[in-house]
Amino acid sequence: MPRRKPQQRRPQRRKDVLHGPGGERGDAFRCTNCRLDVPLTAPGTAHRNHCPHCLTSLHVDGRIPGDRRETCRGRMAAVGVTARRDGEWLLIHHCLACGKLSVNRIAGDDNALTLLRLAMRPLAAGPPFSAQLAL
Amino acid sequence: MSNDIPSSVLRTTTFQCVRCGLTVTAFAPDGRRRNHCPRCLYSQHVRDQVEGGPSECRSGMSPIAIAVLRTGDWELIHNCTRCGELTSNPICGDDNQFILMRMAVRPLAQPPFPLETFGDL
Repeated sequence: MPRRKPQQRRPQRRKDVLHGPGGERGDAFRCTNCRLDVPLTAPGTAHRNHCPHCLTSLHVDGRIPGDRRETCRGRMAAVGVTARRDGEWLLIHHCLACGKLSVNRIAGDDNALTLLRLAMRPLAAGPPFSAQLAL
Repeated sequence: MSNDIPSSVLRTTTFQCVRCGLTVTAFAPDGRRRNHCPRCLYSQHVRDQVEGGPSECRSGMSPIAIAVLRTGDWELIHNCTRCGELTSNPICGDDNQFILMRMAVRPLAQPPFPLETFGDL
């Protein structure tokens, strides 16, 4: 199925983010949840911030993505999926330590089954009202 | 913002929705304080999530997604249209169910990968 993207978007700027274990530059990071070694180069995005297998992220950025100003360092679990107007999916992460929320675009190598399970979660849990009444 | 039972004066206070202009009672029928309009589900950015105090932004916050708690309850995720701040709040009993359902199925309407392969799993 072709991706429905008629207009060409501006390519993402590459960021020099400190990904190493001690805050130095590195070319990979380890997932805090499933311990997978994740390379920084990802298809479809220049700003990878979550594990492609379990979609878990780490709370290290403050207000600006990539600034590394946050001292929380809690694990961020993916809680939801939203779509941009052009159909691009965004992941919503929720910090398990302090409750901060953040969004990030999905990458091309993110686990499709995990993504779909996340997107189906509101419908699988069942809406807290009668869906037939709503439609 | 207190969670205990409001007094009769507080119970009748209202606010006006920043987007659709609907006058909404500040407390939902179940006694909790509302933070979004039940008709268009828009909220207003009045509280800073990072520092915890009041925020000076005060612009509208559009509902972007639904997150599900472990208990199965739906949470509404709002995104500030001006500064991009995110908040999450539980949904109310009288929220617009049509918009809630539309938000829940919107990612599935535009999947980034073909969904046909999942039928074989």
